[in-house]
Amino acid sequence: MTLANLNSLILTLVTFIPLAGALLLVLCPRRDRDIRILALVVTLLTFAVSLHLPAHFHRSQGGFQFEVSRQWITTPNIHYHMAVDGVSLWLVVLTTFLTPLCVLISWKSIDSRVKEFFILLLVLETALIGVFTSLDLFLFYFFWEATLIPMALLIGMYGHGRKVYAAVKFFLYTMIASVFMLAAILWLYAKTGSFDFTTLQSAISHGQVAGFLSAAPWLFLAFFIAFAVKVPLFPFHTWLPDAHVEAPTAGSVMLAGVLLKMGTYGMLRFNLGLFPEQARRNAPWIITLALVGIVYGALVALVQPNMKKLIAYSSISHLGFVVLGIFSFTQVGLDGAVFVMLAHGVSTGALFMLAGILYQRRHTYEIKDFGGLATPMPRYAAFFLFIVLASAGLPLLNGFVGEFLVLSGAFQARALYGIVAATGIIWSAGYLLWLYQRTFFGKITHQENQALPDLSGFETAALLPAAAAALLMGVAPLLWLNMIDPAVHTALLPFSDVLSKVAGQ
Amino acid sequence: MVPLSYYLMLSGILFACGILGFLLKRNIITIFMSIELMLNGVNLSFVAFAAHWHALSGQVFVFFVMVVAAAEAAVGLAIIIAVYRTRETLNVDQVNLLKL
Amino acid sequence: MTQTIPQVADYIRILPELVLAFFGLVVMVLDPLLDDEGSRKTLGGIALLGALCGLGASLWMAQSPGLAFWNMVRVDSFSVFFHVLITAIVAVVILTSYEYMAVQRIRAGEYYGLILFGAVGMTLMSSAVELVLIFIALEISSISSYVLAGFRRREASSSESSLKYFLLGSFATAFFLYGVALMFGATGSTNITAISQALQAKGVPRLAYVAVALMFVGLGFKVASAPFHVWTPDVYEGAPAPIVALMSTGSKAAAFAVLLRVMFEINTPGRFWLIWVSAALSMTLGNLSALVQDNVKRLLAYSSIAHAGYLLVAFAAQPGPGISAAMFYTASYAAMNVGAFAVVSHFAGAEERYVTLADYAGLGRRSPLLAATLTIFLLSLIGIPITGGFFAKFYVFSAALKSGLVWLTLIGLLNSAIGAYYYLRIIVMMYMREPKGEITVRRIPASLGVALALSVLATLYLGVLPGRVLDFALRSATQLMQPHRAAITPAPTPPVGTM
Repeated sequence: MTLANLNSLILTLVTFIPLAGALLLVLCPRRDRDIRILALVVTLLTFAVSLHLPAHFHRSQGGFQFEVSRQWITTPNIHYHMAVDGVSLWLVVLTTFLTPLCVLISWKSIDSRVKEFFILLLVLETALIGVFTSLDLFLFYFFWEATLIPMALLIGMYGHGRKVYAAVKFFLYTMIASVFMLAAILWLYAKTGSFDFTTLQSAISHGQVAGFLSAAPWLFLAFFIAFAVKVPLFPFHTWLPDAHVEAPTAGSVMLAGVLLKMGTYGMLRFNLGLFPEQARRNAPWIITLALVGIVYGALVALVQPNMKKLIAYSSISHLGFVVLGIFSFTQVGLDGAVFVMLAHGVSTGALFMLAGILYQRRHTYEIKDFGGLATPMPRYAAFFLFIVLASAGLPLLNGFVGEFLVLSGAFQARALYGIVAATGIIWSAGYLLWLYQRTFFGKITHQENQALPDLSGFETAALLPAAAAALLMGVAPLLWLNMIDPAVHTALLPFSDVLSKVAGQ
Repeated sequence: MVPLSYYLMLSGILFACGILGFLLKRNIITIFMSIELMLNGVNLSFVAFAAHWHALSGQVFVFFVMVVAAAEAAVGLAIIIAVYRTRETLNVDQVNLLKL
Repeated sequence: MTQTIPQVADYIRILPELVLAFFGLVVMVLDPLLDDEGSRKTLGGIALLGALCGLGASLWMAQSPGLAFWNMVRVDSFSVFFHVLITAIVAVVILTSYEYMAVQRIRAGEYYGLILFGAVGMTLMSSAVELVLIFIALEISSISSYVLAGFRRREASSSESSLKYFLLGSFATAFFLYGVALMFGATGSTNITAISQALQAKGVPRLAYVAVALMFVGLGFKVASAPFHVWTPDVYEGAPAPIVALMSTGSKAAAFAVLLRVMFEINTPGRFWLIWVSAALSMTLGNLSALVQDNVKRLLAYSSIAHAGYLLVAFAAQPGPGISAAMFYTASYAAMNVGAFAVVSHFAGAEERYVTLADYAGLGRRSPLLAATLTIFLLSLIGIPITGGFFAKFYVFSAALKSGLVWLTLIGLLNSAIGAYYYLRIIVMMYMREPKGEITVRRIPASLGVALALSVLATLYLGVLPGRVLDFALRSATQLMQPHRAAITPAPTPPVGTM
């Protein structure tokens, strides 16, 4: 097979290998060990195949690559149109990177209905990759909705505590919000006869869409609400802590690591891509919400007695940075936003895995139940420290680069934004280190903690790649940024006039 | 000659009586007869229109309607008997196992 | 030049009806000769064969489109579509009933006969182009379903359901018939094409508006759209589950076919607001009432009201996209709803004991296969991608938006989000709650397995490759909108306007 052939096929492969794996699992007899091994093989294979993308990506080009476009349904005019640019490419790789880790971390902790669990996980992976790769709005919506069910089922079937409540809340929140997006997509289709992102983009920018001017504010809002709930942006965030706390570890990892990025990715791709004018107009209040989210998330995290809730609120804070970066409309800000998405995926994913490991031993997330864990679990403590530092934004680790870029973008846009956001970083160092101190230092207050076993082989195998990635991203961010930068540059083209205005302030 | 509107008015009144009977009466048989009344109101207007358009078809329709009504009556009475067997009442207010 | 004797082609054009009626008669004749067990097995087989032959006959009929029996019946893509759909539904329902009747210990002879006779009425409704024939077909299907609804004779709830269906159904038919009479008065004809021409040529008399409204009331009852929906939950709760599957898909599809013909082929005056209001009401009332139901059959009944509402949205849209969207919707709704009721009727057990939501707790553990199939149907009812329900909603709402119905679309989309909640409740029950009490789920027998497999396949097929069905529907829509192209022999009624 020639490279050109492979290039046009690669996205289909990456997207559907997990689904094929899921079908294979359906047919597989219920021997838990085999099922786990098969799931691991499939996810590793997907990861390996997805590495083709960064390997053969033309770094200097800003546009879409690995494009494939086929007519799927003639009426309405729906194409199977997939492609990636520097932004979505890394999100795809992030997804394929995290899924095998999820399989590893669930190796022991999921012990009933194992088959269903891994089927759901694989279906979820396909849907997530599909969201990032599809350029046909219809296809996008299709995958977008398709992520809902496996995720809701993962929470509802394998979670703990008020899992059903959390699952239903998650489902309804995102479902209702995405209805607005569907309405907007249908409107665009009714006016242009196309679902294709690039076609729509050029039609809109050339003013060829009848009635667009009066509808644009509503369309922007419709897309924005769907994405904002997913991010989740303050004040749409209330489903997130519930979903995280009750979800199984792998569910939390996928949720924080990838699902939330669907929202920010959607804002970047569609809100900015299709409605630049509206995005500029609405930026002030969106940035305000993002700033509120950064500070609010951090403050709530500070007082959380529950470890998982703390991480969940820290996600809200971090995702606030992403939104801030996106709506700063500066090159560095957007670069940073994308980088934060990736870094947050890795480090928060790892944090949730760490919390899950503890839960499996002690069946609690309450911070006060721990303390002094550094003695019985030294390796665990080391990993935890590493990830906490990465997440808090220590230089030379992954969290630093993104947040630094976002802050400089925010300062460029307006000094006040930067100042407020910077306090968020201080808070985050505070709550994370405090969490660490309470959990690992001091005396052991609970006798049960005395003899906790340290990391097992599978757990180490799941954490090691994440830690390595966190380090690599911090040391050599350019590996990522030099692909992200051209893509961001293209995304910002419609804003070039806006940019000069903002810079002139 | 009696003008068309008189027939139509009468048929309308018959139909309305049927509706009222259907809504107000409590005995199943009476309700059923109210439906028959409605159908007869319709028949009257069919005949009247047939005369108006000089179209025989309207009168033929009446036969069809009567046949269908007879079939309906047969089935309906059978159902009513079935209900009476299980409930021993013909009052609709007491046939209330299912919430309405 | 009026032909006086029916030709062979005429008979081919009603061949499915003839075949179905023939098999219905065979079933009735054989019934007294067999014992209970035999009647269930043999007659079920014969009825299934009849439905399949009907399906074959429908496909054969498709080869000779045209008018038959003095412009009473028209075979076009539209009627072929509904013939195939209805006979397929009937076949699946018979497959479902096979086990159900044995579990309920009901003597099955007349049951299968009545299903086939009902099918005659339903199929005829889709091809009749003469209002009085439509009325007769409507009655054939209705009378069969009245009896079928009360077939669990020992149960008081079943005969009560039958009574309510009968009374309200006849009440509604009286309205429809009155509408027909007034339309006859307004135009001098009951032939749909002739009516359409008369209304175009001479303007629309006020009487025609009243006639349309009355016909809409009658048909609104049949399709269970608000505000004529009150009978639905009661009847669905009491009637045997497979029959509910038939009523909610087959009868409904046929009634929608009539509504499509009446509304679009006549190009009915003043229909827009009637439909708009009814659609908005059906969606909202159906979904809101379904939220609080604890009986799965009632819940699905309210859901079917809501779906009638979504379907009516298509009627408010422009004819081209509207008709095809409505046709697609009936097909995919049939696939998922027949499937859902097949699961319900299998799970219900003897005397339909297990029909509440709480009974479904832990079904995912007890019978993963049954739970998984039901989940697929419920997801399709919600309108999740890769199921037929998704494209059905999608086509309907994009047709509505194309016609500028922004508000109705928004109401519909919000409703479908609300609707997600109660379908989700069932899924949550099945997978996320622990099983309570001792409910033995029987093994899935082969007949039901086939029925479920067919429904799942149809649901997924429509969800992944909707193109072919939609193209067919679009072609039918074009034919439906240009009825005057077909050569029409002069109406058998004497020329009008001699007064």
